[in-house]
Amino acid sequence: MQLKFVILLSILGTACTLEQAPLVATDVSIKEPLPGMQMTAGYLSLTNNTSQLITIARVTSPQFGSVEMHESVVEDGMARMYPLGELTILAGKTVQFEPGGKHLMLMRPVGEFQSVTLEFHANKAVLLTVNVALSD
Amino acid sequence: MGPRNRFIAIVAVVAIATGAWLSFKVMTPAALPLTATLLPAPGPLPEFSLLDHDGNAIGRGVFSGQWSLVFFGFTHCPDICPLTLQVLADARKQLADEGMDPLPRIVLVSVDPERDTPEILGQYVQYFGDDNLGITGELEEVRKLTGRLGIFFEKTATDGDNYSVDHSAVVLVINPRGQFHALFSAPHIARNFVHDLPLIMRGR
Repeated sequence: MQLKFVILLSILGTACTLEQAPLVATDVSIKEPLPGMQMTAGYLSLTNNTSQLITIARVTSPQFGSVEMHESVVEDGMARMYPLGELTILAGKTVQFEPGGKHLMLMRPVGEFQSVTLEFHANKAVLLTVNVALSD
Repeated sequence: MGPRNRFIAIVAVVAIATGAWLSFKVMTPAALPLTATLLPAPGPLPEFSLLDHDGNAIGRGVFSGQWSLVFFGFTHCPDICPLTLQVLADARKQLADEGMDPLPRIVLVSVDPERDTPEILGQYVQYFGDDNLGITGELEEVRKLTGRLGIFFEKTATDGDNYSVDHSAVVLVINPRGQFHALFSAPHIARNFVHDLPLIMRGR
C-alpha cells in the first residue's frame, strides 16, 4: 500500500514537473541565413505557465554575435521594425513570434553550425534554453 | 407526343438554352482586380542612374519590354523583406504553373544602398529566383526613383550601432512601356497576385 502510494506520488510529481516548466518554447524555427547574409530570423511561441509575469530581458545564442527581439509592423503603408527591448509575458499567456510580427533577429553567425541554442534571460537567471536545427 | 409537339418542345429547349447562354455572356461582368489598385493614367518613371546587381549602369530603360513587380526593401531585413520576396516568388511560380508566359519579373530596389552592394543584393534576390533583379546605387539616385513614385523610406536606429530602414510596403507593377501601372498594398498574399496579375497584364 505504501509502495503504491509512493509510486503514485512520483508519477504525479513527474507529471507536475512536466506541466509546470515555467516558460516553454514551441514551434521554434530558425532559418538558415540567406546566401551572403550575416543575419536571419527566428520564430517561436513562448508560453508562461506560471501565475506571475515573466519578463525576458534578453536573448543570447552561442552561434550568433547578437540576438535582438524585434517586431515588424505595417502601419500607414510603411513597413517598420521596432526593437522590443524587454518582453513581458502575462501569467498563463503565450506570445507568438511569427513572420510579419515579432521575431528574433539573429546577427553575426559564429562559424559553421547546423543547430542553434537560444538562451532566454531574465535580468540575472537563464529562464529557458532551447536547441533547434536550422531550417531551409 | 406527336411530331408537332415534339418540334415545339425542341424549339422551347433551344430557346431557353440560348437565352441562358446569352444572359450569362452579357450579364457576367468582366473579372476585375480584387486587391490591386490600377492607376487611371499610367505615367513614365523618372530618369535615374543606378546599378543592377551585376554592377551594370542602368536607367529607367531597364523596365522596358516586360512586366515588373517592384518592391523596395533591404537585405539586412530579416522578416518583412524575405517574406514579401517569398510571396512574390510563390505567386510567380503559381502563375507559371497556370501557363502564364511571359511572367512578370521580380525587382528589389534597395532602400539601404549603403550596405547593399550589387554583389550582396544579387545573392539575396537570386535566392528567391534566378530571373530576379536587384537595383542599388547612390542614395540620391535611389531617391530620384522613389520620390516620384511616392515611396518613402528612412533610417532608424535599433540597438547599438545597428540600424533598420522603415520603408513603404507596397509592391508596384511596372508595365512593359516602363510606366507605373498598378500597385498592391500590404499585407501581401500570393493568391492576390495570382488572381490580379493576369487581369492587369491582359489590360482589363
